[in-house]
Amino acid sequence: MDAAVPLAGAHDTHHHGPPEANRSSRVDPQLLGMLLFIISEIMVFAAFFTAYFFIRIVGENEWPARGTELPVLVAGVNTAILLSSSLTLHWAQTSVKNGNRFGLKAGMFTTFLLGATFLLVQVNEYVHIGFSPADHAQGSVFYGLTGLHGAHVFIGLLLLGVVTVRSFRGHFSKEEHRGLEIPGIYWHFVDVMWIVVYTTIYII
Amino acid sequence: MPVTLRQPGWSRASASMVLGLAFSYALSIGARAILGYDPLLDGESVMRIALISVPFFFLVGLGCFSYWFRWASGAPTVPEDHSGHGAKSWKSYFYPNTDHKVIGIQYVVTSFFFMFVGGLLAMLIRAELAAPGRQFVDSNAYNGLFSVHASLLIFLFIIPVFAGLANYVLPLMIGAPDMAFPRLNALSYWLLPVAGTMMMLSFFAPGGSFATGWTAYATLSNTAPLGQEFFTIGVQFAGASSIATALNFLVTIITMRAPGMSFFRMPLLVWANFSTSLLVVIATPFVAASQFFVLLDRSLGFNFFDHGQGGDVLMYQHVFWFYSHPAVYIMMLPGFGIVSEILAVKSRKPVFGYRMMAFSLLAIVALGFTVWAHHMFVSGMQTWIRVPMMVTTAIIAVPTGIKIFSWLATMWKGVLKLDTPMLFTMGFLTMFVLGGISGVMLAMIPLTIHVSDTYFIVAHIHYVLFGGSLFTIFAGVYFWFPKMTGRMYDEKLGKLHFWLTFIFFNATFAPMHVIGVQGMPRRVADYAEQFASWNLVISLAAFGTGISSLVFAYNMVASWRGGPRAESNPWRSLTLEWQVSSPPPIFNFDEIPTVVGGPYEYGVPGAVHGVFGGSPTTAGPGRRGPATTAGAPSA
Repeated sequence: MDAAVPLAGAHDTHHHGPPEANRSSRVDPQLLGMLLFIISEIMVFAAFFTAYFFIRIVGENEWPARGTELPVLVAGVNTAILLSSSLTLHWAQTSVKNGNRFGLKAGMFTTFLLGATFLLVQVNEYVHIGFSPADHAQGSVFYGLTGLHGAHVFIGLLLLGVVTVRSFRGHFSKEEHRGLEIPGIYWHFVDVMWIVVYTTIYII
Repeated sequence: MPVTLRQPGWSRASASMVLGLAFSYALSIGARAILGYDPLLDGESVMRIALISVPFFFLVGLGCFSYWFRWASGAPTVPEDHSGHGAKSWKSYFYPNTDHKVIGIQYVVTSFFFMFVGGLLAMLIRAELAAPGRQFVDSNAYNGLFSVHASLLIFLFIIPVFAGLANYVLPLMIGAPDMAFPRLNALSYWLLPVAGTMMMLSFFAPGGSFATGWTAYATLSNTAPLGQEFFTIGVQFAGASSIATALNFLVTIITMRAPGMSFFRMPLLVWANFSTSLLVVIATPFVAASQFFVLLDRSLGFNFFDHGQGGDVLMYQHVFWFYSHPAVYIMMLPGFGIVSEILAVKSRKPVFGYRMMAFSLLAIVALGFTVWAHHMFVSGMQTWIRVPMMVTTAIIAVPTGIKIFSWLATMWKGVLKLDTPMLFTMGFLTMFVLGGISGVMLAMIPLTIHVSDTYFIVAHIHYVLFGGSLFTIFAGVYFWFPKMTGRMYDEKLGKLHFWLTFIFFNATFAPMHVIGVQGMPRRVADYAEQFASWNLVISLAAFGTGISSLVFAYNMVASWRGGPRAESNPWRSLTLEWQVSSPPPIFNFDEIPTVVGGPYEYGVPGAVHGVFGGSPTTAGPGRRGPATTAGAPSA
């Protein structure tokens, strides 16, 4: 690394900023980055679903094993709670674009509360469900998939929490609301992913 | 608090790591107290949490996340302040930097450090195997040697060194001032030393380093000593690094190309990294998940792989190879890009079948996802998967064959300049064809059953990863050395390096085909007397290969320190990165060039690739030469 010394001296020093990069696509770079990240996330879930179906179908296990009946109804209500948080988030996003501060604050606050409620109900379900991941492979894939999703909800809540606090402090405006858009895409992804997880684990 | 502990940097990072260790103790003891476990202090549990949390504390301390914390909290950020951009002295290379050129050099130098560590482990392996019987390591230590050797060279050398080379040249090639996400780029780099350090430290873990091969098959890895988790968790950091870089490349290529640079005017290196990045974004999460499963099984008592509890052992191999087969293309496609660049420049001819070269890359990406189970022919999986996988594996040789023939046609009747990059490129062509042929042989189920887990496999993988990937890496490093350092390397030493490497490489790995077919098993510290003479030859040749890499190291270090100054375009190349000074100015371009033609129109009268401020670029050595036609002999 010592050898890097002559390199530094050879740099031009009279520049003060980069030239503006050419935009070769109409897609916003941040948006595209988030979408690609979500593709990666989908593949993580896909790997967990692979495990799920290997254990459920290829493994020819008794399904559901005794004592692994899942609370479909409670989880269904929970699904509704999580999905409605996507709606309130959309309300907040539309509000900020229309300059409606109240809508922004109320929308973000409700979204955060709904997300937190979902997570609490999920934890409550873990406590009362009556089996642990160490009991059998069914338990492992159940906790694996819902836990992976729960971790995403938790990270999403951290992001939304920051956005909520910022919106109460008067940040974001009609013109500048990217700090709300990008976590928003992530939150919608987490919600849509839950529909897949819920359908697979609880219903079919 | 002293200023040095508040400023991002190494002091804060060290303090932060101590905090991270304290956090691990607190979390482990706290959780065990709540759950009522006894004893409260469990070394394995603390170590496990520390392996995950200390790297994050380190990265926060180093300042990798500072900007984002400020941005997310709405605190004022200073994007116009370029204090973290460009290297001011050699010390800048030891801090997070947002300049893709600094990051590229950080990547390449770090990866080569890991190459020398991995190579040293290979020397130890060959020393042990020089004669039958036990020389100086026991079988468990031997298993550790080859496991760390493979893991370092795959996850911390071949994959990141390509990312490093592309990091340096790709934004220049497409006429961009930097990558799309410079701070993410810095973070991707700093995840690498974390992962590599973790894998090397595994030798100090109780019970020795991880010893389950780089494939870490369950249930072997579930029951291995603690050292296994240095791999399980280290791979997560390396994987996160490559996903972040791939995402960055894709966004950069899609949104930041110079005006006029349509997809079919992009240099093939850009195409290659575009394809590779697609593979990384889609496939790498699977290796992350496979290691999550192992970690959950090991640490929280999950039963993903416990057959007695309904788990599925083969599922590990499916998930693992669904990443790791595309990963062999992740380790090869960027090399294809490098080869296409060098062959066109050194043959003074356009790349033959440019569009087919691009399409064949995409075909490899698509087909790469359909062949994973050919690694599992003898695993006991469902037999009906075997024939479809054999067929798709044979088919994937077609787009690869298209590339080989295109390269040969590019050289056909060209004015070949046989300097070091070209020698390595041609060495790659021959060696990769040999490795590819043994690959197609291995796709055939009957042959695989015969040679599975023998040295034939070792020979094949080294022909494609050493003779294939590593030769393209050497070619690329020599080719862009003048651009990256502003100095010329020593051509004589370069040629010496090539011939030593080429001869000793073949002497090392060609005999492995023979002893493999005769049945010498791989991954075993001892072997039968009948293989003794061949193994002695192989070991001696391997030491020769090791010595040849010292020639390379000396050449690089000495030339970087005191080589003659390089011109901006010593190879008379047309692509944009050669049209700026060597090394390029801090923000790459005074103004973004306009692209008006293809990148490889060597020898085509009147053809122009890029226009800088109204004057067409040339293949001449000067920075802004007069408008001459491409490929006109000017040297």
